[in-house]
Amino acid sequence: MPKVIKSYVRIIDKLNHGVGLFAMYMIFFMMAVLLYSSFSKTFSVPALWTLEVAQFTMVAYYLLGGAYSLQMGSHVRMDLAYDRWSTKTKARVDSITILFLIFFMLVLLYGGISSTMYALKYGETSRSIWAPQMAPIKIIMNIGIVLTLLQTISIFFKNLATATGKDIT
Amino acid sequence: MSYDLIALLMFSSMMILLITGQRVYGAIGFVAVIFALFLWGDGGVELAFSANMKLMKWYPLLTLPLFIFMGYILAESGIAEDLYKMFHVWMGPLDGGLAIGTIGLMVVISAMNGLSVAGMAIGASIALPELLRRGYDKIMVTGVIQAGSSLGILVPPSVVLVLYGMIARQPVGKLWLAGLIPGLMMAGLFIIYIAIRCKLQPHLGPALAKEERNISWGKKFSLLSAGIIPLVIFFSMTGLFISGYTSLVESSAVGAISALIAAIARGKMTKQILHDSVQKTLGISCMFMWIILAALAFGAVFDGLGAVKAIKTLFIDNLELNPWVILILMQLSFIIMGMFLDDTAMLVIVAPLYVPLVKLLGFDLIWYGVLYTITCQIAYMTPPFGYNLFLMKAMAPKEVALSDIYRSVTPFVLIMMLGLALVILFPQLALWMPQNVELNR
Repeated sequence: MPKVIKSYVRIIDKLNHGVGLFAMYMIFFMMAVLLYSSFSKTFSVPALWTLEVAQFTMVAYYLLGGAYSLQMGSHVRMDLAYDRWSTKTKARVDSITILFLIFFMLVLLYGGISSTMYALKYGETSRSIWAPQMAPIKIIMNIGIVLTLLQTISIFFKNLATATGKDIT
Repeated sequence: MSYDLIALLMFSSMMILLITGQRVYGAIGFVAVIFALFLWGDGGVELAFSANMKLMKWYPLLTLPLFIFMGYILAESGIAEDLYKMFHVWMGPLDGGLAIGTIGLMVVISAMNGLSVAGMAIGASIALPELLRRGYDKIMVTGVIQAGSSLGILVPPSVVLVLYGMIARQPVGKLWLAGLIPGLMMAGLFIIYIAIRCKLQPHLGPALAKEERNISWGKKFSLLSAGIIPLVIFFSMTGLFISGYTSLVESSAVGAISALIAAIARGKMTKQILHDSVQKTLGISCMFMWIILAALAFGAVFDGLGAVKAIKTLFIDNLELNPWVILILMQLSFIIMGMFLDDTAMLVIVAPLYVPLVKLLGFDLIWYGVLYTITCQIAYMTPPFGYNLFLMKAMAPKEVALSDIYRSVTPFVLIMMLGLALVILFPQLALWMPQNVELNR
């Protein structure tokens, strides 16, 4: 494998590992927001912003964590045939089928960018009483999608390396 | 090309991609976007991202990561071990008593958590080795644990009913109430089966030896205190929700925090365990969320095709089938699909297809939610595919082979089908609670 690809894989993996560690602790932020929400409802005036902040946190949680979850191999596969193949066969098939996954991510990103452009241009706000700007969360979503896309490409290179018996680290 | 044919093409290309073993969300998502582009060109390009926005605005989904986190904390906290000891001592003297106690343990775990993974982990790591050591039949025991843990998605709180509630647009509170009686009934059926089977064949589940039963009554009663923490967690979560103090999502946060506090108070929470739990939670949550994202996109294309109307016309007008026959056919096809499809994927693919059809046929959607969940339970346990089967294999001691696990589920699957039939025949089993308990929200 060319040196460029090797360093791409190394850098992306490291970056997404870091982002993933950050994302996974966001669950405590979610809990704190929701706990505050129930307190404010019981003991004083209900807070208006908690619902949406919790939603924004969740979407950031799984999009920013997407790449790390790929690294951990958390995503299920239908392993009827897959489980019986050798490592090499798995890698060969994967390096083709992952192109479908990459295509899906590209379409997702395309839609994300166009939706974010719209939000920025017209100052789109959420249709709620709190009415926050939508652009910031959409930008965060796009960052998550880009990072996940970069990770799938890194996995593609790794599959390719295994399939052809070359070294990538 | 006619729309029915396009729908068929979508399904078959998805199946082919799934069989290649690529990640499930990739296979579903790709089929969704490629068909959207092909059908609507530029208009279809934002479909995937809109699914993302839909997912974000679906508030009850926030319970998913919180319940997953809670499940891991409960498994680590030692609460389950105490509970097991309690059931062990109280039920041990009966034939098959420990197996019955295990079902009890699973019901308590189910009342604290909305997924079956927690019960499975606790059952396989705590109950299974103990039962095997006491000469219980391994096939019997693995069946008990799988069946028991599957109650996690029927007894409130239930994540499956949360997912269903989004698709069917039904209030989650009512769905949870509807699951309560069928859940307890199912546990009762399991217990009756174990009791009868072990009475007839005592070697499958021998009663505890005399010397093990020699425990003073004072000790016996002090063991009951193990039940206090689960009770507190249950009421601080489901109780607060049903009485209207907290919303659904807020209660799941309260539940997660109370489990965390219980674990810390018992001195079981180290930095490493916390880190591992948080990490596993991210993995499982992301797995679910990305599949749901892809399935929502898939469903949107399907809706756009008007495929449901076409299926209904086929069944009712062309084949002149009775709605009840269709309902039963649907559950059967669901179970058959459950054998071959990945369960998570099935959950989110089947519901958007079946729910509108059930509504068109004029059935109660709360009631159907319970049928749907029981069918999911069955699908979780039917070979060759089933989450519970693989989880069990991964968690059980080595002497339990996959073939043992496959064989172990048969009687329990039959019992669950009996339970399903009972709820179909007597809808009040599911509907009595939601009709008679007023939710203050």
